[in-house]
Amino acid sequence: MRVFSGQRAWLLQRVSVLLVLVLLAVGGLRLLFWPAPSYEDWRSFASSAHGAVLIVLFFGAVALHAWVGARDVVLDYLQHRAVRFAVLLLVATMLVAVTLRVLFVLGGQIA
Amino acid sequence: MKLRIYRFDPDTDSRPRMQDFDVQPGPTDRMLLDLLMRVRQVDDSVSFRRSCREGVCGSDAMNINGRNGLACIQPLASLKEPVVLRPLPGFPVVRDLIVDMTQFFAHYHSVRPWLINDQPPPERERLQSPADREALDGLYECILCACCSGFCPSYWWNPDKFVGPAGLLQAYRFIADSRDTATAERLDFLDDVYRLYRCRTIMNCTEVCPKGLSPSHAIERIRRTMVERSS
Repeated sequence: MRVFSGQRAWLLQRVSVLLVLVLLAVGGLRLLFWPAPSYEDWRSFASSAHGAVLIVLFFGAVALHAWVGARDVVLDYLQHRAVRFAVLLLVATMLVAVTLRVLFVLGGQIA
Repeated sequence: MKLRIYRFDPDTDSRPRMQDFDVQPGPTDRMLLDLLMRVRQVDDSVSFRRSCREGVCGSDAMNINGRNGLACIQPLASLKEPVVLRPLPGFPVVRDLIVDMTQFFAHYHSVRPWLINDQPPPERERLQSPADREALDGLYECILCACCSGFCPSYWWNPDKFVGPAGLLQAYRFIADSRDTATAERLDFLDDVYRLYRCRTIMNCTEVCPKGLSPSHAIERIRRTMVERSS
């Protein structure tokens, strides 16, 4: 897949980590300077449009970043094609499952 | 002075071994290569490459006490005993300290390390401004000793696909050349998950270059040029 090759993957990895760091910093500041949110606060945040967008952005960026990083490690250390393919498939399945789970939970919250 | 030298002769040995030597440097011996020449007087089967003996040809690159370098410019006074000498890591061994450089030079040739310019040649020469010429400093001085590629874990992992720091330094030498008109093709060739992007910015190449060059900086400049081109 060209989108995950060479320069694009390299850029994707860097842009995604920046996004994750910004969202973590904003979340950290929120927890640091405001009272700790209750369960209901988290629910209402996840149910709101902007909250859902931020959560999807965060987990999407984590998944993309993790994919490029894991792929790089696999390309470096695993030389056997079948093993390489199996590990990449496993990683991709896990990341897609986590992302789908996030979408599923958010869908339940919004609905 | 005590030396431990990697020995392997594919004609007679099934496995490599380390052999100890105790050789006294002569009054005029200053560099490791001088001592290796004395080892040869004791055992003329010890094999290593050497030519210019002044850090220009890059023939005598080897792993010296765990760090790649050129024997001819490695002062004896700087070495801790026993001096352990091994062939360049990650390279197939031909014999003793001599490695097979075929793949290394194949990567070097793959980046087309020559000036490409489709304009009609001028009567005398293709001129450059002093600033354009200055941009090549730190790039053209590479002597292709392979100390950098032989110290790069990414090159050890994918020696057949990753161009390696030496090849990429040469690639950038022509990307940065104001007289070259094949920049786009050069960048297209390198925009690959293996050729350029196996570099993980470990920077061993810069750390170990006996000429004080910085292949990792050149690699970063290639990446930056690619981003600038696509934005």
